[in-house]
Amino acid sequence: MAVSQGGTTPVAGKPERRGLGGRFNIGRVMGAVIGLVIVVAFLGITEPAFLSWGNLMNIFRAQSIAFILAIGMTFVILTGGLDLSVASATGFAGMVLGLSIKAGVPTIPAILITVITGALLGLFNGFLIGIARISFFVVTLATLSIYASVILVVTRGSTISLFQFSTFDPIAKMANGDIGPFPIILLIIVALYVIAWFVLHRTPFGRAVYATGSNPEAARLNGLNVPLILMLVYGIAGLMCGLGAIQQNGRLTAAVPIVDPNQMLAVIAAVLIGGMSLRGGEGGLLGTFLGCLFLGVIQNGLTLKQVSAFWQGTVTGSILLIAVGLAVLRESGAGAKLIRALRRKAPPGPAE
Amino acid sequence: MSEVPLIRMRKITKRFPGVTALHEVNVELFPGEIHALVGENGSGKSTLCKCLYGFVHPDEGTIEIDGGRTVIDSPHTALSLGISAITQELTLAPTLSVTENILMGRLPRGRFGIDWAQARRLAFDALQEVGTEIDPDATVGSLSVELQQEVEIARAVFGQSRVLILDEATSSLSETATERLMLKLEQLRQKGVSILFVSHRLREIFRCATKATVLRDGELVDTLALDGVTESQLVSKMVGRDMEDLYGKRSIPRGEVLLSVRRLSAEDKSVQDANLDLHAGEILGVAGLVGSGKIQLGQAIFGAIPYTGEVLVEGRRVKPGDPRHGMAAGIGYVPDDRKKEALLLTRSVRANLSLPWLSTGHFTRFGVLDVKSEKNLANDSVSRFAVRTPSTEFPIVQLSGGNQQKVVLARWFALKPKVVVLAEPTRGIDVGAKSEVYRFMQDLAEQGAGILMISSEMPELLGVADRILVMYQGRLCGEFDPREVGEEEIAHVACIGESKTVGVA
Repeated sequence: MAVSQGGTTPVAGKPERRGLGGRFNIGRVMGAVIGLVIVVAFLGITEPAFLSWGNLMNIFRAQSIAFILAIGMTFVILTGGLDLSVASATGFAGMVLGLSIKAGVPTIPAILITVITGALLGLFNGFLIGIARISFFVVTLATLSIYASVILVVTRGSTISLFQFSTFDPIAKMANGDIGPFPIILLIIVALYVIAWFVLHRTPFGRAVYATGSNPEAARLNGLNVPLILMLVYGIAGLMCGLGAIQQNGRLTAAVPIVDPNQMLAVIAAVLIGGMSLRGGEGGLLGTFLGCLFLGVIQNGLTLKQVSAFWQGTVTGSILLIAVGLAVLRESGAGAKLIRALRRKAPPGPAE
Repeated sequence: MSEVPLIRMRKITKRFPGVTALHEVNVELFPGEIHALVGENGSGKSTLCKCLYGFVHPDEGTIEIDGGRTVIDSPHTALSLGISAITQELTLAPTLSVTENILMGRLPRGRFGIDWAQARRLAFDALQEVGTEIDPDATVGSLSVELQQEVEIARAVFGQSRVLILDEATSSLSETATERLMLKLEQLRQKGVSILFVSHRLREIFRCATKATVLRDGELVDTLALDGVTESQLVSKMVGRDMEDLYGKRSIPRGEVLLSVRRLSAEDKSVQDANLDLHAGEILGVAGLVGSGKIQLGQAIFGAIPYTGEVLVEGRRVKPGDPRHGMAAGIGYVPDDRKKEALLLTRSVRANLSLPWLSTGHFTRFGVLDVKSEKNLANDSVSRFAVRTPSTEFPIVQLSGGNQQKVVLARWFALKPKVVVLAEPTRGIDVGAKSEVYRFMQDLAEQGAGILMISSEMPELLGVADRILVMYQGRLCGEFDPREVGEEEIAHVACIGESKTVGVA
């Protein structure tokens, strides 16, 4: 089949233009890696408690919900979209879990109901975005508000406490317990990332997600069902909200009716700090994982340094600005321009 | 010419990470001269242009204007020095009107802010100057690529330029629009403007330029007067070897009818009542002006735009309305706008190759991608289509236009389609790559596929196609045997819509 005709040039190893080449995939997570190394080194030296095993595992525990939600957000941002409703959907699914447990539904069915609820909330977003072609910004902004308000309406604003139900024990154990030296939830998170990686890189659907984000028209003209892909991507984000809701209730031993507005920001920030572009089509789960970890370490550091929790939003926001700002500089080549400008400002030497 | 050159670029060197794009290149431009810059893709033509209009800064070397050293540190500086450029990348603001784009940064002021009546008049004049009939109030984004390019030209010509750079400015223009541009360039030249002209179309170069500078792999090969030089002499200087016949030879027996189109009309009326038959082993050319509907004809056949009428592959009707139906019937489609409609610019060569393979299930086993055979076929395609890339994992953006186009062809050809619709298959690629593309098309036809080749480049239609259909205002209105007619006859039908030999197979 692969008969090469006479005169066919062999595959030359000649890069046609600009080098820098295949390395930019590493370049994009570099920011998170460097940031992480610096912060870990700093905390490791100044706070002896930081590097203790228990503290490190606590970072994962504290950040567990963000880790889970960020998987879904990664899928969404890969298509060039954004899901602003994640925190509300998580709260909504959490409420459903609380009500189910309270109504006497056994553990496994209650978990299933929660996950399905999350997925349906996401698919609803996805339907409006993919099929009805409404802007993702409008749709998820609207459902952010709707989902959060429905929680308040249904629960009348009161917390459903769950610790007294025996059917809730396995959920609390999953959220807070350990297997050997590892928190159970860390193992679950790692498993989820492995599965998500597999879906993204080893299934036609995952590739289609990248293709849709990179160039939706090219994706369509190459036989991909773009509306369906978009719908499913938001469905996955919703599914992760369902899983995140289980963890959230487990950690709080309650279903709380108030949606934390910082949760959505933290998830989006983690993904962007991991080097993903809001334009879609590039980046991946490694960056997301590192981004979540980075924010977790920062939070932990603030606690160890006894900085008021009120500062956390400022810190997260600033890191987001710096991370994305650096990425913009890198992409536009403005860094090189800056260096050149500085050089020109230097006293006119013989070089010019 | 004893006068001082208007522009003297001396020992220009530019390095990008891993590659020297230009190495000590010298070029001189004199007033009233059209100077062609030729070379294969990746030879450094564009980089040299960019150095001159301030988009790229040379690492070494100097630029002199009127004999005085100058640093051109931005396109803005270049403009203020009277250097304007028309490039292959469109730089228009798609959401603004034609008027606003042409007069960007120099809109006339009236008593109450901008004087729109005056602005519209100026824009209209500028468009008239280049001889095109575009509505000054139209939104640029709603125009076709060609018309956008004409707006871009009008904008560059509007100002008082001393030096005009055209970097592949004609690659998306039709023959007539190119013709108008050539006339305009000649007028400018007579006014003393000096023009640096980059094009893949050698015919254009020989038509308008008097001198040519040849670059190969970033090195200056020669600067020569074009008088008495033949096309093939110039090409062998560019390529560094002698070229065989550009179009290759055709001797493919025509087989059964593969594709039939019956009474096809596009929903937006861009195509009306089209009928055609495409045979196995045949390359059927479709000529026509920009806006004639030839692009939409291809899109409709593939299912990319809605239509009424019938498309049949091997006698079976293809369900309209979705490219997936076209693909399932064995139709492949290479769009005319590579960046907008074909490439995943953020992805690797492999991800670009396998894009249409995702939905056909070629590499899927129980819903899981068989990455190993995907890689094999990708490697295979890269070597078979001579794509110059360090590996299949290399980012596609970093390949030259010609190599990107080979990737787009390879992705479809690997699926062994029955019918391939190619829209402007050689737009913006260099001579070497063009001749390879023609050969790949011929190989595919030889294996029994039918190829519909939609093109604005008459010479390639005449050189490659077995039959040529001509489209005029949405209708197919002429069929020609390329061995019997010349460019003029086809161009006549494309412009007027009439000929003696009406009749469509």
